[in-house]
Amino acid sequence: MSDAIGSTSIETGKRVGLRTAMIATMALGALLALPLLMNDYQQYIVNLTLIYCLVSVGFNIVLGYLGQLAFANAALFGIGAYSTGILMQQLDVPFGFALPSSVLIAAVVGTLIGLPALRLKRYYLAIVTLVLGELLRWTYIHGGDITRGSSGLPISTPKLFNFPIESEAQKYYVFLFVTVLILWATRNLLRSRIGRAWVAIRENELAAASLGIWPAIYKIAAFTWSGAVVGAAGALFAILLGRIEPESFNLNQLLLHFTFVMIGGLGNMIGSIIGAVILTAAPEILRNFPGFEEIVFSLLLIGVLLFMPRGIGGILVAYFPRLRERLFRD
Amino acid sequence: MLLQLILSGIAQGSIYALVALGMTVLFRATTIVNFAHGEMFMFGAFVVYLFLHLVGAPFFVAALLGVVTLFGLGICIERVLIRPMAGGPHIALAMMTVALSYLFRGIARIFWGREVLPMPPVFSYPPIEIGNLVLTTQDLIIAGTMVLLVIVFMLLFHRSKLGRLAQAASDSPRGAALVGINVPAFYGTMWGVSAAMGAIAGILVAPITLLYPDMGAQILIRAFAAMTLGGFGHFGGAVIGGLLMGILEELSGGYLSTSLIDVFAFIAIIVVLLVRPAGLFGRGEVTRV
Repeated sequence: MSDAIGSTSIETGKRVGLRTAMIATMALGALLALPLLMNDYQQYIVNLTLIYCLVSVGFNIVLGYLGQLAFANAALFGIGAYSTGILMQQLDVPFGFALPSSVLIAAVVGTLIGLPALRLKRYYLAIVTLVLGELLRWTYIHGGDITRGSSGLPISTPKLFNFPIESEAQKYYVFLFVTVLILWATRNLLRSRIGRAWVAIRENELAAASLGIWPAIYKIAAFTWSGAVVGAAGALFAILLGRIEPESFNLNQLLLHFTFVMIGGLGNMIGSIIGAVILTAAPEILRNFPGFEEIVFSLLLIGVLLFMPRGIGGILVAYFPRLRERLFRD
Repeated sequence: MLLQLILSGIAQGSIYALVALGMTVLFRATTIVNFAHGEMFMFGAFVVYLFLHLVGAPFFVAALLGVVTLFGLGICIERVLIRPMAGGPHIALAMMTVALSYLFRGIARIFWGREVLPMPPVFSYPPIEIGNLVLTTQDLIIAGTMVLLVIVFMLLFHRSKLGRLAQAASDSPRGAALVGINVPAFYGTMWGVSAAMGAIAGILVAPITLLYPDMGAQILIRAFAAMTLGGFGHFGGAVIGGLLMGILEELSGGYLSTSLIDVFAFIAIIVVLLVRPAGLFGRGEVTRV
């Protein structure tokens, strides 16, 4: 069966490539023209969606592709945001330099979080990573003048080459560039030897090790990359809000990330993006009803766990085999 | 000073041990770690509060009804949400209990929002003073209940048929079913027992911590610390881990800084799991290749 599919894709390979390129160009054009149709609030939601696409894909790398029960995502998100805030506000680093630095810092923290994952499995890892998140939040609250405690750290308008990024539309173009770049890199990484190694480790660590894949190195790599992706999202989040508060990175933020990934489907990158796009606006709508955010998201999670364990991504794949995550290059 | 700190540490530690015991029972019987156990604790207290204030029931009747309600809730959770996923990956079960904990917290928040409610103590005798030391009756009741429960469950799990049942059902559900054990029914009962134990802890502790929707999450992380410190699935370990946590928390708060009390549990968990993942009394996990 695989032979038949393989030969057709070789025959039509060029044409399929051309069509994909055309679709991608049109999609990019539509994304570039989007701010023309939006008011400021809608544009803000779209910007937030871009951030959550990164968050959800980054979380999925560890949770879905590597299959590790690590819940430090909200913590990494916070690291990205606070690194940007502290670099820009306290150390006067320009935005163009603060953004990559924050990504780097978050990647290092991600690596450090990955270290316990080499020793700990399942629940133990879940508990340690949950606790790390709470510990970091405590640090933000008690950070004194550096983090400005629970009242939050205000961030002045970022400048890119002396050009201020003020309006939501301007932020959108910066965010779009960063998001597309990182998602494209992640997609390629997942299809590379490294991405395949992650899936192999998830399916059976011993078997993977017997094939010459060194689980420790690849696990650490997944945590590092996930940290970088989520850290970039955090940095953009700091710019979007203009003020970062410790409570933005609490357990409810984690629930949000968790729901994105589960709704989209574990180990399904397109699903993660779909999950983030569908659910980003929900907390905005539910904000005025205390408790409803938790109820809606937890019911969604329970529903997904019981009735569609592969998430929306899994259902889409069943109908459109072209969307199937291919872990190899044609 | 030192003695008083140790004494209040033991009182505080008994609370952690009591919550950790409920989770240990479930873990021993089903190998599931219930991330929603803190919400059982919170719900138990809130149900009793409702019976006390809406129905006007006397305290002991309300407490009994609260424990029975939570026993029922535990069985329902197992039947409706956990059993359909039995045999599935562990990661999915863990996620289900995480989702449940958020769900229950959300439900509590709809009704109580930001309110913090008072809860009457079981007995309101004046505190006992021995020399310079002060002990409240509530502390004594909590510590007493904790010791009683740990003895009961140690006997049940180590000296009775139930213990062998639990061992069989958690080691190999299939094998247990083959020799005629009704594994799903056993799991259901144990969920009920664990939830009821959460409720007992909630009813006893709520007069001290007050009632609010996030009270469970606060205590759960410390109960986790107690369990990891003592070794997962070990009854005596949970108790000693809980007491140690309480004493160390009070000592660090008394001699170093009060803001450290909040993070002590976090640091304890991280250090213990990294240095000795099996805890003080647990045996390391042996994997068959």
